[in-house]
Amino acid sequence: MTLISTSLNSLGLVLLTHAVYSAHEHSLLPTTATLPLDITIELLTAVLLLCIGIVLASPDLKPINWSVWGGKLSREEHKAAVKAGDVTERDPYVQLDIRRGFLDIRGKRQEFADWDIMTGLPSYRTGY
Amino acid sequence: MLDERELAISPIVQSSVQHNAQTISNIRNLTASLFGVAAGTLGLESYPGFIFYLAASLLVSVLIFAFRAEGKASEYFHSPLGDLWLGEVFSGMSGFVLTWTLFYGLVRA
Repeated sequence: MTLISTSLNSLGLVLLTHAVYSAHEHSLLPTTATLPLDITIELLTAVLLLCIGIVLASPDLKPINWSVWGGKLSREEHKAAVKAGDVTERDPYVQLDIRRGFLDIRGKRQEFADWDIMTGLPSYRTGY
Repeated sequence: MLDERELAISPIVQSSVQHNAQTISNIRNLTASLFGVAAGTLGLESYPGFIFYLAASLLVSVLIFAFRAEGKASEYFHSPLGDLWLGEVFSGMSGFVLTWTLFYGLVRA
């Protein structure tokens, strides 16, 4: 898309410059005729090409609906990760997708008990 | 449509709204100056110049609608009529008049 818009803009600028220069040269002639048709057509063509080029060169619009926007960001997550630095444009649901699992409290307690016995230090349980 | 409940169900992303408005504003300012060059070189005067500007702005709106909004204007704009079709048309008019008079003077003087 960048190539198309750049070439359209370049071509349009060349045509526009040529048309404006031709109109200026024509105005220097002693005749008081109106602008010739070919200059008019060239000028309007240049304006049309530049319009299309400018619109194509502009950045993409972003959806304003939160669900559409968030869904699009989720789908393009890997692309957004490559283009790092834009902190505001991250997937808003990433904290729902990546969560820690539940804590295995019984397992942790057993781990601690094993360690406690293994070290054999005098603990708070010596009174029992 | 602009019901409070509707907004609560499908909230609006403020940064996207700003980004879209900025994009439209940039396009309008650039094209308004361009139309001024064309109108001045064509030697338009008075009402035909403003009619040319309005017609060309409509063309740009159609181009934005087709290429940028992909035919779904309500997905990108809160109120498509005010933000896309008429958005920034009258604020771009000062830039248009500026280049219009400049090129009219340069080419025809």
